[in-house]
Amino acid sequence: MSTAQHSKADIWIGAGLLGFCAFATWRTLQIKQVVSSTIAGPSFVPWLMIGAVSILSLVLIVRGLRSSGLPGSLSTENLPDRGGLLKLAAFAVLLVAYAAAFYPVGYIPSTLVASFAGLWLIGERKILVLLGFPVIMTTAVYYGFTELLAVWLP
Amino acid sequence: METLSYLAPLAQLDVLWTIALGTLGGLIIGALPGLTATMGVALLIPMTFGMAPVMGLNMLIGIYIGGIYGGCVSSILLRTPGTPASAATVLDGYPMAQKGHAGKALGMATIASTIGGLIAAVVLATLAPQLAGIALEFGAPEYFALALFGLTIIASLSGDILKGAISGLLGILISCVGADPISGISRFTFGIQGFASGFAFTPALIGLFALSEVFTQIERLASKEPPVTLVKNRWPSWADMKESRSALIRGSFIGTLIGIIPGTGSGTASWIAYNEARRSSKTPEKFGTGHMPGIAATESANNAVCAAALIPLLALGVPGDVVTAVLMGGLMIQGLAPGPMLFQTNPDVVVGIFGGTFIATIFMFIFGMALIPVFSKILMVPRRMLTISIVLFCFIGSFSINLNPVDLYTMVGFGVLGWGMQKFGFSQAALCIALILGPMLEANLRRGLLQAGDNLTEFLSGPITLLFLALTVLSLGWPMVAKALARKSNARPEITE
Repeated sequence: MSTAQHSKADIWIGAGLLGFCAFATWRTLQIKQVVSSTIAGPSFVPWLMIGAVSILSLVLIVRGLRSSGLPGSLSTENLPDRGGLLKLAAFAVLLVAYAAAFYPVGYIPSTLVASFAGLWLIGERKILVLLGFPVIMTTAVYYGFTELLAVWLP
Repeated sequence: METLSYLAPLAQLDVLWTIALGTLGGLIIGALPGLTATMGVALLIPMTFGMAPVMGLNMLIGIYIGGIYGGCVSSILLRTPGTPASAATVLDGYPMAQKGHAGKALGMATIASTIGGLIAAVVLATLAPQLAGIALEFGAPEYFALALFGLTIIASLSGDILKGAISGLLGILISCVGADPISGISRFTFGIQGFASGFAFTPALIGLFALSEVFTQIERLASKEPPVTLVKNRWPSWADMKESRSALIRGSFIGTLIGIIPGTGSGTASWIAYNEARRSSKTPEKFGTGHMPGIAATESANNAVCAAALIPLLALGVPGDVVTAVLMGGLMIQGLAPGPMLFQTNPDVVVGIFGGTFIATIFMFIFGMALIPVFSKILMVPRRMLTISIVLFCFIGSFSINLNPVDLYTMVGFGVLGWGMQKFGFSQAALCIALILGPMLEANLRRGLLQAGDNLTEFLSGPITLLFLALTVLSLGWPMVAKALARKSNARPEITE
């Protein structure tokens, strides 16, 4: 585990949120307007939210800047170290790949591969578990959902 | 007579069996550190797809009740709260386990959870129909003010009010994705057909609460703390019961009251009940050292919230806490819209839920007491296999609702977002509640403004609207007042010294 200073993280998150608000502003401008007797059209609430998030993000940045030099700013966020973050990122990529394969490839082959890869990624090295668990779990879940609960799986 | 006929399905064996299974499953999920009742309900909603409404919804309620109770197991045996609701139970539960009284601590937790749950279930059955009757008179301004109140209370209960508010506002913005509720104009869909009706609610919840937890579990895989394995003498003595009586009753009512307030939850209730039990005790110094009333207060309060949180959900369509927010997904899957009209259109479902809440609480007591000797074994489930199993259920659950592959990306996206939010102190609960209340807030705000000719004063002038707005201001202002009061009381001894 590594740690990130609380106030610095807030500054970066605030900046990221402002960037997100800029993007949302651009997208809100693309919303079609309708002729109406009220000011509250389809983009009314998005504008309100963008405005409010922008203001609060600025407050977050200012709070972070003000507290960065103070002794209280020593509170930290527990973040995984570089290796841990890489492992989590790899796991996230695996999940996206599994999502992409789930429908076109089919439940059984995609789940077998994803379970094996997932177990290996999170540190399982026993060959019996690596091979046996995906097979048992995949087939048991397939039977349970398709036969007992009548849920269709690809 | 009619009510009795609505209760008849609950006597069917398959319904009872499903509730029992849900309660047991919830108990096991809640007992495992890191797996919460919210996650259990989110993960298993798709399983109720093909079930009759009363059966499916009561299974989810069973998971909820069992899950909140199950949290006490790892709190007592492992010093790690199974759910946030049981965090306060650690204070007295683990010291008792260390003294060799783990069985008694678990027994008291089971009894307290049952009494708290039953008291709240009575309040649910009595109060919800009355509240629904009042809510039938609500118009757009009242619903707007109610949604606003629900949102602010969850923001103010988040550890950091600023981050809680940002989470809530982002949730409303995210809920704007898809067709506009008034004109039907498409917003923020990027031309993707799968987002035409917005982000699918249940996959988003599964990602936010279940998949995000998988990432957290992967981080924790390295750390292992052996559980207390010596568990015997599950029944507390008569003297223990007598000593804990007032903490138990007070905790039950505190939990019920907190549960009724939209947007609160078991975690808040158990801490308030614990502090209240300690404050009113003749021996406050014993709290935190393995004292029975400490367990009685927290566990009766957190399980009372379960039934009480169903009151605003069923009567007003506003979730009482984050689990009932997820439970709303279960109602939607059944084609039911929670709110006062549910009492008119589907009284059988409402009465079925009332009855199911009682039954699930009784099952929780039976399973809880019976399983006390084997609880320590549940905590030894291989974590890697469990993690992969959760991923599998997340995927199948998200896909099976709409058979839409886009929902899988939604679930993964919200999973990563949820993990990030958790890491940096942003409230996932606030985002979740905002996803639910956002459309209600937007539709009623715009409809109300249209009716009032954009006159805000006219729109917000009703007495109920003003009451909810006053409560909104109070909920936002209260943390600041409380902080100022705490600062003042901390400063006082220094002055006297």
